[in-house]
Amino acid sequence: MVSSAWLIPVFPLLSFVLLLLFRPVKERAAGIGIVLSGLSFFLAAGVLFAQFQTGNTLTEATWLTIGSTDITMGLEINPLNALMLVIVTLVSFLVHIYSRGYMAEDDRMTMFFAYLGLFTFSMAGLVISPNLLQLYIFWELVGACSFLLIGFYYYKAEAKAAAKKAFIVTRVGDVGLFIGMLLLFWQVGSFEFDAIFSAVEEGAVEGTTLTLIAILVFIGAMGKSGQFPLHTWLPDAMEGPTPVSALIHAATMVAAGVYLVAAMFPLFEASPAAMTTIAVVGGITAIFAATIGLVQNDIKRVLAYSTVSQLGYMMLALGSAGYVAGVFHLMTHAFFKALLFLAAGSVIHAVHTQNIKEMGGLWKRLNVTGTLFLIGSLAISGVPLFSGFFSKDEILLAAYSDGRYVLFALGIITAFLTAFYVFRLFFLVFMGDQKRPATVTKINESPKVMLFPMVVLGVLAVVSGYVNTTWFGTFLGDWLATGPYDVVHEHGEGAWWIPWLASLLAIGGIALAWLMYAEKKISHDWLSKTMPGVHQLLFKKYYIDEAYDNSLVRGTTVFSYFWHYFDKFIVEGIVAFAVGAVRRVGKAGANVQSGQVQTYGAVAFAGLVAVMVILALTGGYFG
Amino acid sequence: MNGSFLLSALVFSPLLGILVLAFVPGDEEKSLKRVGVLGTTLPLVLSFILFAMFDTDKAAVQFLEKYSWLEFKSSAQTAMDYAISYELGVTGISVMLVLLSTIVIFLASIASLSIKENWKSYFMLFLLLEVGILGVFTSENLFLFFVFFEITLIPMFFLIGNWGYYQSEKAAFHFLIYNGLGSAVLLIVFVWLFMTTGTLNINELKEVLSTAGSYQVLSEGTRTGLVIALLIAFGVKLPIFPLHSWMLKVHVEAPPPIVMIHSGILLKIGAYGLIRFGVNLFPEEVESLAFLIAVLGVINLLYGAFVAFVQTDFKRVLAYSSVSHMGIVLIGIAALNASGIQGALFQVISHGLISALLFFLIGVLYERTKTTDISTLGGLAKTMPLMAGFMLAGGLASLGLPGMSGFISEFMAFLGLFKVMPAVAAIGALGIIFTAVYVLRAVLGITFGELHDRWANVKDVGVVEMVPATVLLGLIILVGVYPAVIAQSLQAVLTSMGIGG
Repeated sequence: MVSSAWLIPVFPLLSFVLLLLFRPVKERAAGIGIVLSGLSFFLAAGVLFAQFQTGNTLTEATWLTIGSTDITMGLEINPLNALMLVIVTLVSFLVHIYSRGYMAEDDRMTMFFAYLGLFTFSMAGLVISPNLLQLYIFWELVGACSFLLIGFYYYKAEAKAAAKKAFIVTRVGDVGLFIGMLLLFWQVGSFEFDAIFSAVEEGAVEGTTLTLIAILVFIGAMGKSGQFPLHTWLPDAMEGPTPVSALIHAATMVAAGVYLVAAMFPLFEASPAAMTTIAVVGGITAIFAATIGLVQNDIKRVLAYSTVSQLGYMMLALGSAGYVAGVFHLMTHAFFKALLFLAAGSVIHAVHTQNIKEMGGLWKRLNVTGTLFLIGSLAISGVPLFSGFFSKDEILLAAYSDGRYVLFALGIITAFLTAFYVFRLFFLVFMGDQKRPATVTKINESPKVMLFPMVVLGVLAVVSGYVNTTWFGTFLGDWLATGPYDVVHEHGEGAWWIPWLASLLAIGGIALAWLMYAEKKISHDWLSKTMPGVHQLLFKKYYIDEAYDNSLVRGTTVFSYFWHYFDKFIVEGIVAFAVGAVRRVGKAGANVQSGQVQTYGAVAFAGLVAVMVILALTGGYFG
Repeated sequence: MNGSFLLSALVFSPLLGILVLAFVPGDEEKSLKRVGVLGTTLPLVLSFILFAMFDTDKAAVQFLEKYSWLEFKSSAQTAMDYAISYELGVTGISVMLVLLSTIVIFLASIASLSIKENWKSYFMLFLLLEVGILGVFTSENLFLFFVFFEITLIPMFFLIGNWGYYQSEKAAFHFLIYNGLGSAVLLIVFVWLFMTTGTLNINELKEVLSTAGSYQVLSEGTRTGLVIALLIAFGVKLPIFPLHSWMLKVHVEAPPPIVMIHSGILLKIGAYGLIRFGVNLFPEEVESLAFLIAVLGVINLLYGAFVAFVQTDFKRVLAYSSVSHMGIVLIGIAALNASGIQGALFQVISHGLISALLFFLIGVLYERTKTTDISTLGGLAKTMPLMAGFMLAGGLASLGLPGMSGFISEFMAFLGLFKVMPAVAAIGALGIIFTAVYVLRAVLGITFGELHDRWANVKDVGVVEMVPATVLLGLIILVGVYPAVIAQSLQAVLTSMGIGG
């Protein structure tokens, strides 16, 4: 089974190639995409179970030789990679099915499925990489797919801007990773993870350099996973079709940054400064994005900020040495956030708007979607018995037992805010008086082809937490610890009160949302009335986009114009001078040819004298 | 290997097309175009035969042909005889460049089907240009190199001037003056070498120059001077900032098929010359100038990218993009290790393919819209989805997306430089961000957004036009996915140049 793991990325690549070359009609294109992504998923599931028996495997072949260094490509199946493969292919498979319904009206559905195939290929290629270079290659490819899919509605100015922004902002991070990777190569002499880890372990890389490299690599992860201050592209990425938001911008690609930190954990662990950086960036991102999510009115944007915030949680866990906690939350988040996005898509599909102020009382019309959205909301809020409860607790425990008390406090507050904003969505959209945009006459529940994937994710959003609990056993943690490098896997004992506190806050957040948006006991514009400045600050997302526009974007433009005019006037000026000089010499030469033989003779004689003098002085020809 | 005529046959094979063209009446458009395209097919086939027969494991020059040509004795005091031979041969580097040339020229001849007038003289000059180019890459001595180098200038001058856009004559004039000055400097270097060493053969020169005794005839200072002169001569061609402005004019004013050749191949003579004559003959002196070359490379890279960002004409964006991308060549050369030089050579081939693709698309676009102004265009993905797809793919290749050729060269060049000058390399790496910025601005400006009404009936890429676009994109992806296809040929010759680790 494990030996055929290479087929997992090949199937979706095949889907891409077939759809691109043969351009089948919409339904057939969807069929091809679904079948091939399904094959990929079943194979990945098989590989996962086979991994339990066979353990870690690594297959490689030489790809390119530079000097005396062989650069390889290959695939590595270890617990982390096997788990990621299943998450990626499963969510991809479900999103393929869902898109069959969601994109049915779109003329370019074939291209859509082609892009989905290319993305799934790239993402699968990323999570099986045994070396940093291969990871980087696929890292860029998933970014390009994300760009293509954000810009899928290419005729919309917002989609165009968002696609461009996503590419460029993540590329800022990618350059960090690129530099880090190349520096690391000359320290270690290899891109292979194994070689890197053993070099780090032996202390072959000096401390400051190690920290520098680790932070550069982490900058790459920040770009991809939307960590502050490189988060600005992710909310804008919601311009893409909603299935894409679920697959790429919630469950898989944006988690690649977290995966990168996990996959290179020994490198980071060796540098306490890098670990602190990760934890701090994660903690700040978590609360920062959650506060913005409180006041946004676009259903997908609230979920996008929520994603940023949750990814911050994962980083906080990893930075606090909570390897298992981070990966565990990555998994549960993939399921419940994909669920929330697909349910949001189902709502948008029905009411043709993303503005929650124009929605209300949809529970009666969309009760399946509503139920599933509720499950997703409970899971993300960390309500006991749902998956998010278990994974979030692990993170808080990790932060606490690592002695990062301030970050722990931020995490606790974020848990409260999360429960509040997600239930604000739920109550505004599904409860209260029935509301809908004037243009929509009839609201229908989405077709089964869209509901089925949501049901699967709904089940997973509940049960996936039970793979790692203190009640039944920490299967996931034990298994992850069998990876190729040592992972500290201990459950933070002693802080028995943390789960209780977190649950209490989650329920408190839900209750507050209920009072404000369902019962309306508290005015929902309480914040904008009492503290208009704070509300505006949050609503405008801390003015970060504006700050970037006014500094970096404008600065680059002015700088570019400066060099443009420099080129136009200074450099061209020199050219004009040179060309003019040649012309003048030409003219002068033409004037010399006056036709007067006496002049010619005189010049020729002078030349001869000059030559003879030179010869006399130098003593003959090169004597 | 004396006795093989393959290289001579290859280099002069375009003459057959010229000969046939001479007998076709000037107004028979179809026949002229057909002969023109067929004329480039013969060298294409021969170059594939060459590639198939080439032994990639050997470092030595292969398919050597040598005939004595000129010989003259100098004054009695010197024991040296000055002999100039007709010598052709190929190494792993030049065989790849020959292949690149014949492919790009063949595709450019297909693109030339859109030429509107004077087909006869156009294709005759076009084929003469090919003779020059193939000669440049197969010459094994400096004199022959120089002759072929000059042969490329003359047809280019007329092709730019007569078939270009509004200011094409001015562009042709600038082209000639700049390249003429570059040639003059080159000639000084070559004559100097000839007079001091008595040979023009590249391999003999290398041997002579690497002996300790050679420092008596050619001091270290002189060598450094010669390397600087080479840097100027080939810096015009590459081009190196601030010697680049002539090539902007050519990019903007020359007809697109000619720009495909110009940007795709002719600029690469600069890189080829720097590596073959600079790095190969004067490794130590190049090393002493490595920091300067690296800084020039980073300046090229960033300067080109920033200026490209604010251009309104797509052709100018691509012109500055060439400046930027040639910075990568310098960065690779400055590294002076296997990775760097290999990166520079990959960039030569990669940029050749990518810029040929993008300028081909410019031709396609201009044919239909009569403009390349970015703000006038827009939303073309709706009416020209295939063109938009190719352009997007070309743009992504240009900004170094993995899976395509540009990434390999960028990666290797930077890998090389990070070993020796990490700080300079890190500044240069920022260029990767700005490349994405200007490429996406231009490409999305043309293909994304709302469609202007006046482009509502523009036709997409036609069947014949699909050939160059598909072949070029296919090659770009092939090199990106399986770089060993090129690296194998380069390996042995780089090792022989003393560039191992």
